[in-house]
Amino acid sequence: MSEEILKALTQLFAIISKQDTGVSEAERNFIISFYQQDLDSETMAEYLALYDKYAEYGIDDDSEEGDTKVERKKRVTRVNEAVRVLSLCRRINKTLTQKQKVIVLFKLLEMVGSNRSFTAQRMEIIQTVASVFNIPKEEYKLMESYAIQEHSSALDSEDILIFDDEPPTEGSKRRYIDSGKLDGEIIFIRVRSVDLYFIKYTGHDEIYLNGQLIKRNSIILFSNGSIIKTPKGAPLYYSDLVSKYTADTVRNNISFNVDSVWFKFPNGTIGLRNINISEGAGKLIGIMGASGAGKTTLLNVMAGLETPYKGKVTINGFNIHDPVERKNIEGVIGYVSQDDLLIEELTVFQNLFYNAKLCFRDLSDEEITQKVVSILESLGLDRIMHLKVGSPLNKKISGGQRKRLNIALELIREPGILFLDEPTSGLSSRDSENVIDLLKELSLKGKLVFAVIHQPSSDIYKMFDKMYILDTGGYPAFYGNPVEAVTYFKKATRQVGSERGQCMTCGNVNPEQIFNIIEARVVDEYGEFTNKRKITPEEWNEMYQANFKIERVEEVREKPPKTLHIPSKLKQTIIFTTRDAIAKISNRQYLTVNLIEAPALALLMSLVIRYKDSLGKGEYVFRYNDNIPAYILICIIIALFMGLTVSAEEIISDRKILKRESFLNLSRTSYLFSKLIILFSLSAIQTLSFVVIGNLVLGISEQYLTYWLVLFSVSCFANVLGLNISSAFNNAVTVYVLIPLLLIPQMILSGGIFSFDKLNNAIASKGKTPLITDIWASRWAYEAICVEQFKSNPYERMFYEIDQKESAANYKTSFWLPKIDELLVAASDLTDSRIASEQEQRKNNLAIAAAELKKDKMPVPGKQEAIELLDAASFNEESLEKIRLHTRQLNILYGQIQARMADARDSIIMVFEEQARKSGSAITINQLKDLYHNDNLADFVKNENVLDKTFIENNKIIQNTDPVFTLPEPEHLLDYRTHFFAPFKHFGGNLISTYYFNLIVIWLMTVLLYIALYFEWLRKLIKLFDKLEFAKR
Amino acid sequence: MDATLTTRLVFIMKRLYLSFSLVLMLACGANTPESNTQQVVKNAPDAASQAALPQISDDLVANIMQSIPSPIETSFLIKGIGAPYNVSNLNDHNLVTNYNTNYSQALNLGVYSTDLGFANLYDKNQDVLNYLNAVKKLADNLGIGQYFDYKTIKELASSSGNVEQLLQLTQQNLEKIHNHLNEQKRESLTILILTGGWVEALYLTTLVNQKANNKELRDRIGEQKIALEQILTILDVYKTKPNFATLIADLKELNKIYSKVQIKTTVGKPTQKVVNGEIITEDNTVSTIIIDDADVQAITSMVKSIRNKIIKS
Repeated sequence: MSEEILKALTQLFAIISKQDTGVSEAERNFIISFYQQDLDSETMAEYLALYDKYAEYGIDDDSEEGDTKVERKKRVTRVNEAVRVLSLCRRINKTLTQKQKVIVLFKLLEMVGSNRSFTAQRMEIIQTVASVFNIPKEEYKLMESYAIQEHSSALDSEDILIFDDEPPTEGSKRRYIDSGKLDGEIIFIRVRSVDLYFIKYTGHDEIYLNGQLIKRNSIILFSNGSIIKTPKGAPLYYSDLVSKYTADTVRNNISFNVDSVWFKFPNGTIGLRNINISEGAGKLIGIMGASGAGKTTLLNVMAGLETPYKGKVTINGFNIHDPVERKNIEGVIGYVSQDDLLIEELTVFQNLFYNAKLCFRDLSDEEITQKVVSILESLGLDRIMHLKVGSPLNKKISGGQRKRLNIALELIREPGILFLDEPTSGLSSRDSENVIDLLKELSLKGKLVFAVIHQPSSDIYKMFDKMYILDTGGYPAFYGNPVEAVTYFKKATRQVGSERGQCMTCGNVNPEQIFNIIEARVVDEYGEFTNKRKITPEEWNEMYQANFKIERVEEVREKPPKTLHIPSKLKQTIIFTTRDAIAKISNRQYLTVNLIEAPALALLMSLVIRYKDSLGKGEYVFRYNDNIPAYILICIIIALFMGLTVSAEEIISDRKILKRESFLNLSRTSYLFSKLIILFSLSAIQTLSFVVIGNLVLGISEQYLTYWLVLFSVSCFANVLGLNISSAFNNAVTVYVLIPLLLIPQMILSGGIFSFDKLNNAIASKGKTPLITDIWASRWAYEAICVEQFKSNPYERMFYEIDQKESAANYKTSFWLPKIDELLVAASDLTDSRIASEQEQRKNNLAIAAAELKKDKMPVPGKQEAIELLDAASFNEESLEKIRLHTRQLNILYGQIQARMADARDSIIMVFEEQARKSGSAITINQLKDLYHNDNLADFVKNENVLDKTFIENNKIIQNTDPVFTLPEPEHLLDYRTHFFAPFKHFGGNLISTYYFNLIVIWLMTVLLYIALYFEWLRKLIKLFDKLEFAKR
Repeated sequence: MDATLTTRLVFIMKRLYLSFSLVLMLACGANTPESNTQQVVKNAPDAASQAALPQISDDLVANIMQSIPSPIETSFLIKGIGAPYNVSNLNDHNLVTNYNTNYSQALNLGVYSTDLGFANLYDKNQDVLNYLNAVKKLADNLGIGQYFDYKTIKELASSSGNVEQLLQLTQQNLEKIHNHLNEQKRESLTILILTGGWVEALYLTTLVNQKANNKELRDRIGEQKIALEQILTILDVYKTKPNFATLIADLKELNKIYSKVQIKTTVGKPTQKVVNGEIITEDNTVSTIIIDDADVQAITSMVKSIRNKIIKS
């Protein structure tokens, strides 16, 4: 409480208490005790002095003189005071919440009540205060009489509840709870407008509120989770009270039945044996058992996470394990696992908010905010609403708060049945009580709640309506009232005092007793415990079978009420995306590293490889940078790497959250799309910054888009690949270990490090890129950039078509025709050979030559005749000469093309330079070349450094030169395969530019990976392997 | 790459350039000027106008080609007088990618060939590698790279005793290149290669002569009168082709200066000698060159300007 407020309150107290009779000793004592709650003795004295001053304590009243002057003075003072009260109240209004104001008002009433001097003037002032505080009139009236009246009989309202040994008279509106023997009565009041409960005790017994003695007639706030203990009667829980007040709210119509359920683990051990449970709405059921007894298994089976191998679990008659029937009960089940299911980067509020948005299609953002705030308030989390959740290691909020928030995530969508796995584990006893109290409250509101509970305190234990106890091996041992459980087990072992379940004096139950009895072991002759149990689980189970008859609740025949209205897939995608984006943005480290990584790497690499020109002029020229082919490769590898690392953990870290959200039946497509949107955006930014900086430093002008589009595509491919492994493997370490396994082949088979012509014969296919490389995105990307960089830069653009034709003609004259001649000469030499293999060789040579000549498209007369001469039976030296006439013709024709193209090229250069001279731009062809053409890359894509320009493979002469100018020769309509660095790709009868073709291929691979991700192929594959492993064993 | 591999590679390359330079030097003239004199007399000086026909016979081209003196001789001469090697006198090998037209590529292929031979003679390994690379690039670009049979050249060059065979091989290669280009009607390229090589050789001679002022060098410069006339004769055939006009004009300008140079030929009787049991015939014809300092000076500056035009194109 701030000083200002305390001062204001002190004045308010003083003004009220000095009215009429002036300050009484009782009132002053009340004030003292009020201060004592908050202040140390020194400051208290200070405030007390202040109070005394305002209340004029100790100043004798001289009104006895009856002077009219005094009377007038009094009137003036009263007017002044009224003004002062108003200004004080306004000041208070500004800082205190409505709830606090209600508490202040009760304090005022209580003070006045402390010596029971409810004079008109005092009450008038308090009423003024109430109206300035905006407290409804009716409610204030009730509060006033609650403070004034000493017995409940004068209070007739639904908001009053009596906790007493005798019920109120017939026809009274008052509510009633039996307290057991009690002196006087405990009166509760509910202040509806703020939903607060207050308590007042009128008797002389020792009544404890949360362990503190209650003063007679004082009005105390009965806060969440409070417990009242009377000397003799049962304790009264906050939840009991609330349920009494809310008894008339509508109940859910739910029947939940577990019928003879057996569960077997994958390895064949039986986890649960013949479980039967039948419950209706409004119950809080505890599940207890020794560790390993199958508590969590039972909970999972009941929640539908695990499927029993015998028996069934039904809600309102619908089998929850039946994929068809379960559609009827969507959203009915809520499940809070033992794990934390919070998104650590989001605030408490955001966690709930986005969860709620996924549950309620029809509510507006404002309504959802309201809902979230109210649930946070009811769980006492409203003060930490805007704190980040943080990880369990980097704590921002306490364990209890985390647990409550986890529960809140389920509560907000109001499932009919709620399952909780050890909701109190790791919590302080106070937090545990709060949580169980919350569950109790829920059950009283008509939910059916199952909670696995471990070592509960007595208070918690008693809050459960029923307890289900499992023994080791999944044998049921008890099902019934918790306190009776103690008696049951005591009786079974014929212990002394077995009819008493709880301590006679303090009312405590010791749940541990139960397990001491169940698991009691035989003692050997030395007094040491043996491993043998006195009563085996089977024996307990026999006893259980004999003693417990399960009464089936009436089967509800209607569909359970549906509170869940999940939004459309598109909306889900938007919600998922926003949630993820906010989480990522709020994670500073993650964001910084991811945004800086790319430009930093680009800067580092490009500066390192910014190779000064070899002309010795000292200035950097792009044309002479020999590192460009390697740069392109590294760009791609970095894009892949960034794409993989950024996505590899995505699904793993979400897996728990996904498990929870599986109860919401949300769309997997939406979830995955939200991932894609975020990852692709990140990839776009990363690759863009990379390309801009890298290319700028290296002077790769005008090709930013060329690079970026490929790097972005590759990065997206890696994103989806990363998501695949992320969804298939269970921990992040495995995934990160896997990354090199995925990346290094991308490097090996990219074509940038090892030439495709020089791979192991088993995989290489000469003249075409090896089939095995087609599945690696890096190879498509590398080819795309290299070819496009060479082919479409402003320099080469001018010549490409001419160069291509010239190169084709040059190949024919320089390599192809000589090769054919070579073949024919060899064949002619072998004509007279008698060796079969040589004859074979000869035949082969002739066939190759014939096929090659036939394939040639140059229209030359006499072609057919020439080919016919190549018949193995008749071929001789004479025919060789004849054919040479033909090939010579070809040589001339192709030579002419070559010469024509050379001339065309020369004239383009001349025209260019002429134009440049005229327009005064003065850029020479070589300056253009400096800017856009890279010599080393050109050598690379033209395969300049290879000595064997042709070779024979599959009875064909394969061109091994100028790949970037060589058009593919498709074998059939769907033949897409070409040599590496082909300028165009063939598909379905069309030639497509390699750049676009390769981009399409990368995206097709990405789509394929997405499908694999959607159907979790990889995960299923791994599971299959696991099963095989198991079968072997 | 490990050390042994590097050494081996360098070794191979060395062998390669050795043989390669020989190839190119031989390409520029297998015969000595003396032996060609008679032929030259037959054709010169009005042969140029006669040859200016739209069609030029293959034989004529081949004959004229052979009459151009070999740069190897020039190189020997320069080295013989003890002139120091200076790489900055040669064309910068880095400029190789600047030659974009077939015209400039062919000319500079000639230039680089001469430079390669020159560097080789002085055992400047690094420069030899550079020029070898430049030559290879230009040859590839012109579509004649395949005629450099690296494997065979390597094998032959690895043993020094194979010089005869090597000469034979390179002669064959040269013919192949010529035939190849000829068949494709691109024989103008051969002429340009030869011209480029010749200009570079002349340029180097004038450069050295400026400092050394040696009689032999002056004679050598003067002798080029004959070669220049041959070149002009054949270039004239292609005068309509783009770029050729400027080159022809420049060379004609040079020819004007050369018109003052006189070559007197005294024909002697051939004599026979026995060397190592073999009979060798010696030609005793002697040529005298009359050239004055002013002419040498004029030639020097003219050649420099022509050469600079070629390497800048």
